[in-house]
Amino acid sequence: MAGTTVPIALGRAESDRLRSAAYFLRRNPRMVIGGLIVLGWLVAAAFAPWVAPYDPIKVNVVDSLQPPNLQHWLGTDDLGRDVLSRVIWGARVSLRVGLVSVSIGLLVGTSLGLAAGYLGGKFDLFIMRGIDALLAFPALILAIGITSALGPRIENAMIAIGIVAIPAYARLTRGQVLAVRAREYIVAARAMGAAPLRIVLRHIFPNIMNALIVQATLSTAFAILAEAALSFLGLGAQPPEPSWGQDINYSQRYLANLKWWMSVGPGIAIFTAVFAFNFLGDALRDALDPRLRRSGG
Amino acid sequence: MIRYILRRLVLMIPVALLVTVGVFALARLSPVDPVLVFAGEERDPAMLEAIRQQLGLDQPLPVQYVAWLSHAVQGDLGRSFQNKQRVTEAIIERLPATFELGLAALLISITFALVIGILSAVKRNSVLDLLSTSITLMGVSFPSFFLGVVLILLFAYVIPGRIFPPGGYVPLSQDAGENLRRLVLPAVTLATGSLALNLRQVRSSLLEVFGHDYMRTARAKGLREGAVIVRHALKNALIPVVTLVGIQVGAIIEGAVITEQIFSWPGVGRLAVQAIPSHDYPVVQGVVLVSALSFMFSTLLVDVLYAWLDPRISYESAAA
Repeated sequence: MAGTTVPIALGRAESDRLRSAAYFLRRNPRMVIGGLIVLGWLVAAAFAPWVAPYDPIKVNVVDSLQPPNLQHWLGTDDLGRDVLSRVIWGARVSLRVGLVSVSIGLLVGTSLGLAAGYLGGKFDLFIMRGIDALLAFPALILAIGITSALGPRIENAMIAIGIVAIPAYARLTRGQVLAVRAREYIVAARAMGAAPLRIVLRHIFPNIMNALIVQATLSTAFAILAEAALSFLGLGAQPPEPSWGQDINYSQRYLANLKWWMSVGPGIAIFTAVFAFNFLGDALRDALDPRLRRSGG
Repeated sequence: MIRYILRRLVLMIPVALLVTVGVFALARLSPVDPVLVFAGEERDPAMLEAIRQQLGLDQPLPVQYVAWLSHAVQGDLGRSFQNKQRVTEAIIERLPATFELGLAALLISITFALVIGILSAVKRNSVLDLLSTSITLMGVSFPSFFLGVVLILLFAYVIPGRIFPPGGYVPLSQDAGENLRRLVLPAVTLATGSLALNLRQVRSSLLEVFGHDYMRTARAKGLREGAVIVRHALKNALIPVVTLVGIQVGAIIEGAVITEQIFSWPGVGRLAVQAIPSHDYPVVQGVVLVSALSFMFSTLLVDVLYAWLDPRISYESAAA
């Protein structure tokens, strides 16, 4: 009897899951829209050499300053470089910065938060004062300060944006650890003699995963915007590497000649990428972490 | 209340000290030798050594830090490597332009956030509400430098009559009309980001307040809708908005960095950005320190204001 009921129950569970997934997606258009745009940019970045119609750094003066046309959908810049190709290759820079800096923030911030929350005492006090000091800097000013000290390079921009992201993860993780530390199952694990590292990794960490996923998505949006801002100021990617922020800065000198297309492509690229990650982050927050629904960010 | 403020000030000291350590370390992280930057064309080893001693860079790092900090607390942030001007003087000279831009932007942001926020909360799910939600979403994701470029293109070049110039600054004392004309585009650019945040806050806190019992009571006792909103809802809903605006006041320098760069606005942010390519560390260091400290103090002021505005917040727990 049991042999017949189990597969039926499993089959029903499967179709229920699919149905509820479809229902969820219908009810969460933000996740679909945000997710699709993010996916689009990821594909563009990953397959840039095949997707981009031209070499993004190849100078071709004969074709310079062409408005959008059939050959160059987003026009060309003063050196005849195809704007669309630069936008597609620029996605690589932006998403790489997003990935690396969010990883830095996530890894360092979460480790500090887990350790501070679990160990408590003087360690907690010391770490959290350091985090407070990082939070005392306005984010962009800190990123500018670090990048200017390390030197204007895209790798340094990644480090700077990563450092700026640390406090959010550290505070979030510490708060969650403090909330679950006194729960029965943690006390039970401790009573059974589990090592602190095992308790943190096996019992506490899985509880804060959802909140971290939401935070990582939202901070990718911030990282893309910050990289564009740093590159706009000349502190991120350096010419001739295609970068959205840098290309907008470069296009400024041709505004008086009404060569608007040089800035429109990269501008819309930044907007859609940041918008998509924000949208997706908000939707994920509603889906994964209902407790955070009311808080801003 | 005074005890609460004092306690907060005392708690701020270690964080402020850590901030100064961070700012000091930033300048020392650089792979470029500041002596070479300061010396300009000079490459005589004896002269370079003399400059190193003069700048105190031959001392161990902790000694350098203490010397730098003791000068900084007296308002001496060193001299620019480039033009040898005192950094404090350079910052003070540019503060009025930054404040003018920042305050104009905040004024625009708060005004629009209040008007649109109240209307969209009152007429929830209307076209206006949709517009307000769209502004919020756009404002958070739209890069200010792209918006600045679009505004320059439209108002300085495309629309006939060149309503607003593409950039530059004329002091208020010199020509008030021209000052305002040049202020409009950068102020609107800067306002957009904070408008999105303020608008979202006004709308969401009003909607939250609308659900409370005292709102129903106010309506039940026959008050006009306008009075209910202004006297009962807004008074409570604006407390979180005050917090947000207070933090934005503290972050004026940060917000202005990009906008000042786009519009060649001679403020503190532009001072720092222009100092970076020439490795003029004292200037960058000075601006980073001043903006971090002003950010910290504004956060403290906001907390105090919050505790004062909302008597439910106990000073004891707020200080913890």
